[in-house]
Amino acid sequence: MADRQTVVQTTDIGKSFAATRALDGVSLSFYRGEILGLVGANGAGKSTLIKIICGYHTDYEGSIIIGDETVRFASPEDAYRRGIATVHQIINQGVVQSMSVGENLTLGELIARGKGPFYNKAHLKARAQEIQSQLGLDLDLDQPVEDIGQSDRQMIAIARALSTEPKLLILDEPTSSLSEKEAERLFTTLEKLRSTGVSIVYVSHRLHEVKRIADRVAVIRDGKLATVLENPFDVKQIVTAMVGEIPEHEVRERQSTISTRKVRLELRDVVVDPGKPPLSLKLYEGEIVGLTGLIGAGKSELAEVLFGVRPPVSGEILVDGEPYRPRGVYDAIRDGIFLVPEDRANNAVIADFTVRQNITAPFLRDFQRLGIMKVGEEREASRRMIKSMGIKTESEEADMDALSGGNQQKVVVARWLLKNFRLVLLDEPFQGVDIKSRHDIGQYLRDNIGDRTAVVIATDLDEVIEVADRILVMNGGAIVGEQFYATMDREKLLHFISEDNPEPVETT
Amino acid sequence: METTASTPTETGPRDRTRAEAWKRFAIRYGFLIVMAALFAYFSLTEPAFFTPGNLFSMLLGVTVYGILALGVTFPLVADDVPDLSIGGVAALTVMISAYLMIVLETSTIFAIGFCLVMAALIGFINGILVVKVKIPGLLATLGMMFIAQGLQLIPSGGRSVGRGAVLAGGVTAEGRFSEAFLLLGQGRVFGFIPSPVLIMLAIAIVVYLVLSRSRWGRVFYAIGSNAEAARLVGAKVDRFRIMAYVLSGTIAGLGGIVLAARVGRGDVQSGGTLLLDAIGSALIGFAVLGVRRPNPFGTIVGAIFIGMLLNGLTMQGMQYYVQDFIKGIVLVAALAFTFGLSKTKA
Repeated sequence: MADRQTVVQTTDIGKSFAATRALDGVSLSFYRGEILGLVGANGAGKSTLIKIICGYHTDYEGSIIIGDETVRFASPEDAYRRGIATVHQIINQGVVQSMSVGENLTLGELIARGKGPFYNKAHLKARAQEIQSQLGLDLDLDQPVEDIGQSDRQMIAIARALSTEPKLLILDEPTSSLSEKEAERLFTTLEKLRSTGVSIVYVSHRLHEVKRIADRVAVIRDGKLATVLENPFDVKQIVTAMVGEIPEHEVRERQSTISTRKVRLELRDVVVDPGKPPLSLKLYEGEIVGLTGLIGAGKSELAEVLFGVRPPVSGEILVDGEPYRPRGVYDAIRDGIFLVPEDRANNAVIADFTVRQNITAPFLRDFQRLGIMKVGEEREASRRMIKSMGIKTESEEADMDALSGGNQQKVVVARWLLKNFRLVLLDEPFQGVDIKSRHDIGQYLRDNIGDRTAVVIATDLDEVIEVADRILVMNGGAIVGEQFYATMDREKLLHFISEDNPEPVETT
Repeated sequence: METTASTPTETGPRDRTRAEAWKRFAIRYGFLIVMAALFAYFSLTEPAFFTPGNLFSMLLGVTVYGILALGVTFPLVADDVPDLSIGGVAALTVMISAYLMIVLETSTIFAIGFCLVMAALIGFINGILVVKVKIPGLLATLGMMFIAQGLQLIPSGGRSVGRGAVLAGGVTAEGRFSEAFLLLGQGRVFGFIPSPVLIMLAIAIVVYLVLSRSRWGRVFYAIGSNAEAARLVGAKVDRFRIMAYVLSGTIAGLGGIVLAARVGRGDVQSGGTLLLDAIGSALIGFAVLGVRRPNPFGTIVGAIFIGMLLNGLTMQGMQYYVQDFIKGIVLVAALAFTFGLSKTKA
């Protein structure tokens, strides 16, 4: 690779937020026709670097060079016009929900300057079709975006970014809500783009994806560029550069020990959605169950039923042998059944609150006297959680939006581990969370599970394997596979996840 | 609000940290410093300003819209909606209490009780319209404002109600407001503190405790920030949102009772600029301590600020017709200062 041609270059980029040094002396070149993986632990400074390159932060040290010219973007639009397109992690910031698919795909043209106040509908539609076929999409252009799934929304945001034929395309966690199939489609597209000379920055916590697609990988650690690895590299090398050595969770429960325990939760022919197969299932005391399956397999819907968000169509649920029929979230929490929801930004984070107020939100009753909050006790409890979960924050009084995505995720997990529970459901608890933090959360769960029960729901098989005693696979709304960690067969699990005509199985 | 102390540590580039610290200080205390400076200025330039008599009369002028502003803080917090019906509700309460006591000659307790229940009911209907029927809050409360303003004219046939007034149909009103009722508006505690001022301060303390210190306040704020997240941590969101409108309506009713007792008759013009003054106070409150959110301490400070400014400027010869203009300038300036400075967040 001697004929590398630098498209964009950063030299000595630095940035501080108040007293925190977020980035320091980062010099990095982005080459034409290359995919660069950008990885780092939560709060290491990846997002800050990207926000500087894409024009969001205008106040920074060092310089950005495009071609031979040192540039200083005035705004994200400015960066965009100069060929830097970014697709951000939070999908719903990338699409206008009330507009149609077609309008979303052509937003760039709609707001482009110098086109006059009117637009030609037929022309735009043709252009939208062109844009979506670039990415191999086949969506109904007239459908409102609010009616389509997360993964299609993500594809729209990416397709639109590509439509401007950018020099540098930055993708921040692009696969976090895509299925493996959709991710594969994205990779194919990215490889095609690479061959046309686009420089791509691929930010992800999913290191096997980075390994799969990146030509080089840049590791950011504590605000500095730790190393740049050239392909071939292995995942272990990246992890070590990111966070140092990580031990494996050693002790796991086996089938023989689990089945002698008391049943914590039992489902008897529970139908979650009309037309879906009835589910029967037992969860035992003291086990961590991993629930995996593709997006749309029915995992989150089952969790919602258990948390009282929606009633089941039919069937019976028993908790510790007693019938359990929550009329709302309120009842579920009272009965010691908690849920960390999948959609962090929309369903979990209270953005106006401090870290402390976010942590104690479900259990205000435990921090009050005659209705008046006891802030001192709240502080103490949140400090404890911040410490044991390794949350990176200035203090428990920091605003929630001062935290990186992964640390926000830790906060919304921490709030449910604050009090004793019987069953905690964690829906995609590791989204946007780096491998070290993932390990921390997993370790905390393992260390504190006692005779309680946890269900870790994740689309990524590796995420559930890392922490679970027992792994259940959902497919088409049914439980189609069960494996214990101790005797696990990864290939078989992958088969359960993706098979077309799955058969429900009896579980332990 | 509770204090959100984020103390910067002495690392990083010094100047930057110092500039940040100054900015933080300005956002936090800027408004209060301006207020104190104005107070000092008026006291020094106008000998009549800093006298117990004037200060109490200034506070007395604040009381009715101050009370309404405290109430409207609830829907502002929980729903981002400035309840537009509060002025109408207060005016309606004035007319109904007058009609009850002066025309129908009911007891004081009955009149007060009836008015408060009516005000709460209007708030409840607002809540149902917003939460269950899902009309946007601004529209629902605007509609309710019309209803309340219209309703106030109906019992008396569009005329003001006072002792001896001749109503539609030739009936002469024979009753009067009772002494006890009038005490709520015209009484002096210890001979010098006007009773409405005490009522306002009492409501301010209760609203402060509820919104800024209590568990329920935390839930109101959680719902205002992210209703879905609040529901998923177990908050009974619909109930709290409806309650916010009920409280806003009820407190507006209390404001109306104080107003009726102060004026001593059922004046159809009494609604006046109550609504805008109340909402203006609550919005100025965003700037107090730089919290950028509705908050009861800010609301009461905002209400008093408006009162003080108008009182001082009037002494300096300002004409009455400039008042609304001044209020608008203060509101926009306060909000621009707070939001503008903290735009580039530390």
